[in-house]
Amino acid sequence: MDNLDFDRDKDLAKDFLSHFADPDGEAKYMNMLQDVANHKMKAVHIELEDLVNYKDLDEDFLRRVTENTRRYIQIFANAIDELMPEATEPFPDDDQDILMTQRSEEGTENADGSDPQQQMPPEIKRYFEVYIRASPKGRPFTIREVKASYIGQLVRISGIVTRCSDVKPLIQVAVYTCEECGFEIYQEVTSRVFMPLFECPSQRCKINKTKGNLIHQLRASKFLKFQEAKIQELAEHVPKGHIPRTMTVHFRGELTRKVSPGDVVELSGIFLPIPYTGFRAMRAGLIADTYLEAMSVTHFKKKYEEYELRGDEEEQILRLAEDGDIYNKLARSLAPEIFGHEDIKKALLLLLVGAPHRKLKDGMKIRGDVHICLMGDPGVAKSQLLKHIINVAPRGVYTTGKGSSGVGLTAAVQKDPVTYEMVLEGGALVLADMGICAIDEFDKMDESDRTAIHEVMEQQTVSIAKAGITTSLNARTAVLAAANPAWGRYDLRRTPAENINLPPALLSRFDLLWLILDRADMDADLEMARHIVYVHQNKESPALGFTPLEPSVLRAYISAARKLSPSVPRELEEYIATAYSSIRQEEAKSNTPHSYTTVRTLLSILRISAALARLRFSDTVAQSDVDEALRLMQMSKFSLYSEDRQRSGLDAISDIYSILRDEAARANRMDISYAHALNWISRKGYSEAQLKECLEEYAALNVWQIHPHTFDIRFIDA
Amino acid sequence: MVGLPYDCLANPLGAVRLTFEKAVASGIDPATFDGKDWGATDLFRDFLYENDGLSQVPTLNDSTIRSLQPNTLVKFRGMIQDMLGNEFYVGAYKDGSVWRTNKFADHSQFPIGSSSDMRVWERRLLYCVPVPGQNSWTESFCQAAVAPFANSTSPAREKRQRENDVDMQDLDHEFQDSPSAKRKREESVPSQSSNLQANKIGETSSNTGLVPDFDGNSFPCLLKMYDSPESDLKLNDVFEFIGVLTFDTELKTDADEVTELNNSLYEEELTHLPPSKVPRIHCLVHRKLAVHDFLSSPTMLEPKPFLVKGIRETLLGHLTAVLGNDGLAAQFMLLHLLSRVHARVDTVAVGKLSLNLTCLNKESISIFGNRLNLAIRNLVPFAHSLPLTIDYLNSVSLAPRKDYQINRLVSGALQLAEGTHLTIDETRLQTGTLNSTGVDNARVLKSLTELQKVEYDFTYYKMDMAADIQMLILSEGKSNILPADLVLPLRPSSVDCYGDVDPELLKAWRWYLATMRSLPHSIEQEMQKVVEDDLVAARQADRSLGSQELSRLLTMGRLVSVSFGDTCLSLDHWQMVKELERLRRERLQGSV
Repeated sequence: MDNLDFDRDKDLAKDFLSHFADPDGEAKYMNMLQDVANHKMKAVHIELEDLVNYKDLDEDFLRRVTENTRRYIQIFANAIDELMPEATEPFPDDDQDILMTQRSEEGTENADGSDPQQQMPPEIKRYFEVYIRASPKGRPFTIREVKASYIGQLVRISGIVTRCSDVKPLIQVAVYTCEECGFEIYQEVTSRVFMPLFECPSQRCKINKTKGNLIHQLRASKFLKFQEAKIQELAEHVPKGHIPRTMTVHFRGELTRKVSPGDVVELSGIFLPIPYTGFRAMRAGLIADTYLEAMSVTHFKKKYEEYELRGDEEEQILRLAEDGDIYNKLARSLAPEIFGHEDIKKALLLLLVGAPHRKLKDGMKIRGDVHICLMGDPGVAKSQLLKHIINVAPRGVYTTGKGSSGVGLTAAVQKDPVTYEMVLEGGALVLADMGICAIDEFDKMDESDRTAIHEVMEQQTVSIAKAGITTSLNARTAVLAAANPAWGRYDLRRTPAENINLPPALLSRFDLLWLILDRADMDADLEMARHIVYVHQNKESPALGFTPLEPSVLRAYISAARKLSPSVPRELEEYIATAYSSIRQEEAKSNTPHSYTTVRTLLSILRISAALARLRFSDTVAQSDVDEALRLMQMSKFSLYSEDRQRSGLDAISDIYSILRDEAARANRMDISYAHALNWISRKGYSEAQLKECLEEYAALNVWQIHPHTFDIRFIDA
Repeated sequence: MVGLPYDCLANPLGAVRLTFEKAVASGIDPATFDGKDWGATDLFRDFLYENDGLSQVPTLNDSTIRSLQPNTLVKFRGMIQDMLGNEFYVGAYKDGSVWRTNKFADHSQFPIGSSSDMRVWERRLLYCVPVPGQNSWTESFCQAAVAPFANSTSPAREKRQRENDVDMQDLDHEFQDSPSAKRKREESVPSQSSNLQANKIGETSSNTGLVPDFDGNSFPCLLKMYDSPESDLKLNDVFEFIGVLTFDTELKTDADEVTELNNSLYEEELTHLPPSKVPRIHCLVHRKLAVHDFLSSPTMLEPKPFLVKGIRETLLGHLTAVLGNDGLAAQFMLLHLLSRVHARVDTVAVGKLSLNLTCLNKESISIFGNRLNLAIRNLVPFAHSLPLTIDYLNSVSLAPRKDYQINRLVSGALQLAEGTHLTIDETRLQTGTLNSTGVDNARVLKSLTELQKVEYDFTYYKMDMAADIQMLILSEGKSNILPADLVLPLRPSSVDCYGDVDPELLKAWRWYLATMRSLPHSIEQEMQKVVEDDLVAARQADRSLGSQELSRLLTMGRLVSVSFGDTCLSLDHWQMVKELERLRRERLQGSV
């Protein structure tokens, strides 16, 4: 009865293999079999997903395959045996093939083959391996979630490889020859341990009662490569207060040597009990050990570029993208427990997103990574910000300027203590390639690293010429630095340049530089006191007034945004050029230039604008992006020179008025839309509240009229 | 419940089977029992807690292990040190037409046929050790509970057991038809007839050099947990487990088999925890223990205000005497002893109050250090002390670490149960160089003082485990390796010995500390306002005050009012906090 069922399933399997067509209409599996027949590949990977998509899907068959996978691998293998096409290309014969031809010739000769052990088992003829791969949809299991009810089933598990054994041969079919009758005797081995045959079981020997002596033929036997490994749960999957679980994994054949300790992998495989043998079985009593028979191995890559969106994330991102306020929302969700600092968080968000790398025809590379430096008094949560960013980034390294070992930040040549070979070891910046490197205590960096960091921040490589090794390592990383002012605390009586303890050559490489000061502020203090009292009273943080997005959602959104590579449209070129030149002009006018606006600044503007466009999922940079980029740069400058602004003759309100009037005069128009006005003033570092105040004040003076709903401005002709 | 048809104490498995048969007879499909209970644990719960069976259950520890029989009910108190994952076993199977169960047992009572009707269930393995740093006064209580059972076994018999070889009788009839049983029988031939008691650690183990190391601090036990939700049992939690003891003599023959498959990764946990060294308990009932459960008179009194005040005064007097008549230090010490982490908000552990007593040098540490240690050991159930030296830091691993070779979590000195008191003596620290282990250890200590978290090393990643450890640091100057919440220079005015302490008073103090620690606490609306204003004023006056300092003031407020048995912060107590803080600051300034 059972057998009949399996025969029918074999037909189903054959039908699937021969008729399945992938989206391009190619007969995927028949092509694969042809390759196998031509000895080009050994493994036949059957995707469960294909079975799901198969036009004549039999739900029951699918369920049987998932729940009794090991049996069905056999069935598929039998089906493939029957379907195997003739080789279309010549291939060199190896020992196995010569043996096979011999055997098939003999096969006709020994016609008394009613004896099962004399019949050649199909395994020995096969030169292919069958794997059934679980559907990649849905979340993989954690080791903890695989329960007793999953025994025998195909499961997908994620984990980290902790130990690997050597690859060893595992006998699959033992072959013997009989001294008496000369027959080849086959013995299939399915477990790890087997009892070799000693007496010839063939009909002839039995009839003759000769008890033929069997000789094990190693060359004729079939062996499989076999490797064992242990995987362990990933840290993020372990519930609080628990120890990560481990699981044994068996790799066979083509899947061996795919993993090494430390790899984060996703495995699909069959969850099976280990049959205990001998005394072990007695001792173990009722206990069964289990293992995972691996069917496929996927390495996890934690780079943005290879980030795969899971299930509903795509939808969620689309929904978020439609939300107009996404820029603010994402920025606020960064380190939500840190109060305020909206603009800094925005800048950090842009650092996470970055701009596309550009490679010019002549081989010159222009970096896309946004570098940011946070400078500030001790205890203003710089380090927390850094650590949080590293948590959000899929690939991030946190280090301190002094804290890194002999390898330092960049790279070092070291002598291996065992082999005395020179080995190249990458430092934090190299390890963070294609990611983010957060460097705390940037000002306390070693002198040697400081010179190297110049190269990293612009060329994005680390060059080494030491001990006979000359090489250049990639370090395409966004640098997020935090530094303390020169005298520990920011001294307001000194100039910013004196306070910032970094050479201008290094500073100019940062796209944005923020100064976070701890000002004596009654409101902030009260806020803090309230927070602490609340925490003690309610044992939780006070509500934030908004629900921050989960880091995983943030990561997914950012990775989706990073796939775009926005370009600057021709119309905007002029606009950016004007903005840049006006900054240069302003600088030339003032007698104490605060910053050195160079071509690097222009590139920074472009980079930040491109990152902003990415956030909007747009392929082109819009003017609003450039405006926001300019505003951020302005704000970052003001964080340094806010004192100056107060000192300058004009107060904020009249300054806003003059900006608006100038702009209107330039455009030769009498009315300005509110959005435009906001753009202009924010570029100069003023807030919306200040604009509103200004609008009201001057409207009262009858200088302009304000539209009651849209707040558009119309100048009254004097 | 008079006249139970089975003996829960001596034959718990019989009781389990009986309930199983009852459940099957009532028409429930055994297949549905997976991960569920069919009434067996209810029965035991009823027996233990309703019928006062708990006191009759013998305690398993290093001294009782020799007299306890396998397959009887025992209780074990310990801390979960490691979790070994789960184990699949044949939970129920059909023997002919009868369903049988193997739950709570290592071996099946009847041979399992090749019947296809088998249900594989799973259970979890926990590796438990006695609570590290448990003080002797708590154990006396445990021993008392053992007494009745110990008396019931005749001393003569006990003596004979020790003289005799291992006996396998008990197991034999479980193993009637198995070849291994024969093997075992052969090995135990010389003694077979002489003893019916199964003593599992006799000469076999001493012959093989596997002398069980049953000293009080390393008496591990493997717990097999059934059906309890995973979130119930956490690492480093202290539990009382009541279950079926199986103390299986795993024979050394096993070793050959292991070598056969050597250099593969085939070894399982059992290989490294030979059951001859580690007893197993199939847990029927478990209960999380609080400090109260370790006191000799668990439910002493209602916390009446005048009583509490009285105890507080005497305790304060005692602490003052211990600290050489330094009243201020005693005040802070009291607060410190009452502290515990009662909430975690983001990364902040709210409620911790670590204390750093400075101005102790090599001479004074020998007096006060020892005195303090002794006093603390007498007051809290779990206490531990660490001498901090360069050599020590460089050589040991303080944080637990996963050893993948043996697939076990190797415990470190900082794997401690919740509420453990840790004294760190920094006065012995000399100048010197730390190697990478030392740096790691210093970092671990720092994160423990600052965040009450210990990083467990899993080689490929580290995992933060929340801890709740009262840290007392003794140092010469302010400790920078261990940045404590409170730094206070000790000003002893006398080194006189203090007299012996009345044991009744000690009991009262222990009760006081245990009870007051767990009191709830709140701040009234008006008081909140006052506190907020005070904090703002303090910060306006001194910009160097960070959120940590403000948070500490609130913690002190809580502890002061709790020390009086109040659950609400009053203005008086808040004033007292401010006064204490002022005195402390004065003293700090004076010492610079």
